[in-house]
Amino acid sequence: MIAQRGKVKVITGNSAAAYGAMLCRPDVATSYPITPMSEVAEQLSSFRANGLMETEMVEVEGENSAMNVVAGASIAGGRTFTATSSWGLSFMYDAVQHAAGFRAPIVMVIANRESPGILAVSGGQQDIISVRDTGWIQIIVEECQEILDTVIMAYRLAEDHNILLPVMVNYDGFYLSYMTTAVEIPEQADVDNFLAPLKKQPARQMLEPGVALGCGTHGIELGFVELRYRQCAAMERAATKLDEIDCDFGEYFGRSYGGQIDEYRTDDADIIIVASGGAVGTARVVIDAKREEGIKVGLIKLRLFRPFPRRRLAAALKGKKAIGVIDRSVDFGWNCGPMYMELRALTPEIGIVPMLSYIDGLANLDITVPHIARVVDEVHAAAKGKSYQEVTWIPLEE
Amino acid sequence: MVEKKKKPKVYDYFQEKEDPYAGGVAWCAGCMLELTARFIPKVLGKDIVLVGCPGCSAPVLYGQNLGAWHRMSYFSALMTGVASSATGISRYYRKTGREATVVCFTGDGCSADIGFQPLSGAAERNEHIIYITYDNEGYMNTGYQRSSTTPLGASTSTTPAGTVGHGKPTPAKNVPLLIAMQGAAYVATATLSHLDDFAKKLAKAKEKSREGFVYIHIFAPCVMGWRIETDMSIQICRMAVRTNYFPLWEAEDGRFRLTNEVTSPRPIGEFINMVRKFSHLKEPDIAEFQQMVDRRYAVIKKLCALE
Repeated sequence: MIAQRGKVKVITGNSAAAYGAMLCRPDVATSYPITPMSEVAEQLSSFRANGLMETEMVEVEGENSAMNVVAGASIAGGRTFTATSSWGLSFMYDAVQHAAGFRAPIVMVIANRESPGILAVSGGQQDIISVRDTGWIQIIVEECQEILDTVIMAYRLAEDHNILLPVMVNYDGFYLSYMTTAVEIPEQADVDNFLAPLKKQPARQMLEPGVALGCGTHGIELGFVELRYRQCAAMERAATKLDEIDCDFGEYFGRSYGGQIDEYRTDDADIIIVASGGAVGTARVVIDAKREEGIKVGLIKLRLFRPFPRRRLAAALKGKKAIGVIDRSVDFGWNCGPMYMELRALTPEIGIVPMLSYIDGLANLDITVPHIARVVDEVHAAAKGKSYQEVTWIPLEE
Repeated sequence: MVEKKKKPKVYDYFQEKEDPYAGGVAWCAGCMLELTARFIPKVLGKDIVLVGCPGCSAPVLYGQNLGAWHRMSYFSALMTGVASSATGISRYYRKTGREATVVCFTGDGCSADIGFQPLSGAAERNEHIIYITYDNEGYMNTGYQRSSTTPLGASTSTTPAGTVGHGKPTPAKNVPLLIAMQGAAYVATATLSHLDDFAKKLAKAKEKSREGFVYIHIFAPCVMGWRIETDMSIQICRMAVRTNYFPLWEAEDGRFRLTNEVTSPRPIGEFINMVRKFSHLKEPDIAEFQQMVDRRYAVIKKLCALE
């Protein structure tokens, strides 16, 4: 560890996100309140009002403008930050895609919340799913310290000259956004040092007054195809880049999170549970208890959702006898969990084994210890050859 | 800049002699947008950042499916994100201590309709940007559909005059007045038949944009959508002013002033008769139109009378 030990503060997940952003010294940040993220906006405004950061704060009149303002500032050359949730994300959907198309390295935190399809002021990951094909890197975190640390890492990823893609840092709304825990706030000088390599890169193209250079995402025929190809290639590179940054961060600050995925007791495991976000913490407890019972179960925390960490997942899942996937969202059209559906696409790499989809934790319902224990038992039974149900909506089938 | 005793003329305001555009561009013959777009950088200078969106201006200004046909800096935003993207660009330049004139240039479909919210938001936050609307009274690029600045009775492809339909049933949204009512550093209306007035307003716009939000609304007839001859556009601009259909005014820090007061306005029928999108209107329709024009002018006149 190179960095100084930072001060420990007892703060919420939202606050952790705001501290993370502040430490990265964005040039322009925007805010528009939405439950359960509003505190991020309030915190940043308070930092600004008290002279703790010099960021231009723009209190916009809606999320669509929140994204367009940071997109404009980003393409002019600035470091930018914004935050939203659920239908705030829906309202900026066009701008979200536009920003990714012109490769603006924006960092946005999202306090995940159910999508507005059915009105719900409650947690869920449907908002992550609704924007998975927008060209943004999507990282999902488990606890408050990880929120702060991941915001810092997200700038290293987004602004890397071989990546130049916007990054969403996702954390469970309500659960993590309001959960108060001890969080170590790194020293400013250490964060500056950690981000310093970005300044040594070749400068990216920026909008300059008086310079005959424009920016938009207009491309025709092959030009368009080439831009798309480069966008996809950058996305592909982001997966291993995140692993590298996570290692660097670990060496520097003494904390690391596994990069694309975090494996827990998977090495000798027969069966694997895959989960993401705050539910992973609960799952670890269950895994330990089931190990005591003699079930050789391991856990994979899916941290990176876009790009999908297919290589690392395939390596971790190869040879396992059965897999259970817990989703906090649904896949319309496949009638299963979306992460489950994507994991099934790894079948050619990992072979045909029972894969079970569990939908749980929608609309703020708890993903409890008994719920996950049940998942482990059923996946374990399936591995032993017992017939199983492919998709289970846990709260409806308790 | 202007020290002569005599009334300054349009050329006195020019910062650039050179036209930053290519000679031949993909705009229609007789297009007022083209003349407006070529005119603006002459007064504002070429060190501006243009922010625009899909629309008639996009192919030339923002390189829609091509490269841009000019030598200026530009950002091609979404229709929903023009004033907001410009906000971000302008704030970043401010943060880094650079003085730059950020100019939004869009049609009425953006500023009056889909981009109105960010426009209104940017005005309220008093962002240091200039927003210029070329108002051709409809979605001309997509085929002459109505917008909220389409005037009362106008036949468009989505408010066609027919056996039952009489064109657009409601009058235009008065965007410059709305922005002025919100409060802005400078708001003005202008058109190409009154170039001295236009140039003076642009010069003032640049100056005032150092203090806050500037909005300029340009009356810009569309040859195709309005069904007029290619050599008629300027005459129609002039008639719009002479009938008080499009009064030329400005509001500096909330103080209104008519910049070209028309003492004996021509009847609106003279304007309506020049534009074939109104050709189905009958005498009672024209009388109603005249009433609408008179009422709107009376409001501006009252505002100008305020101390």
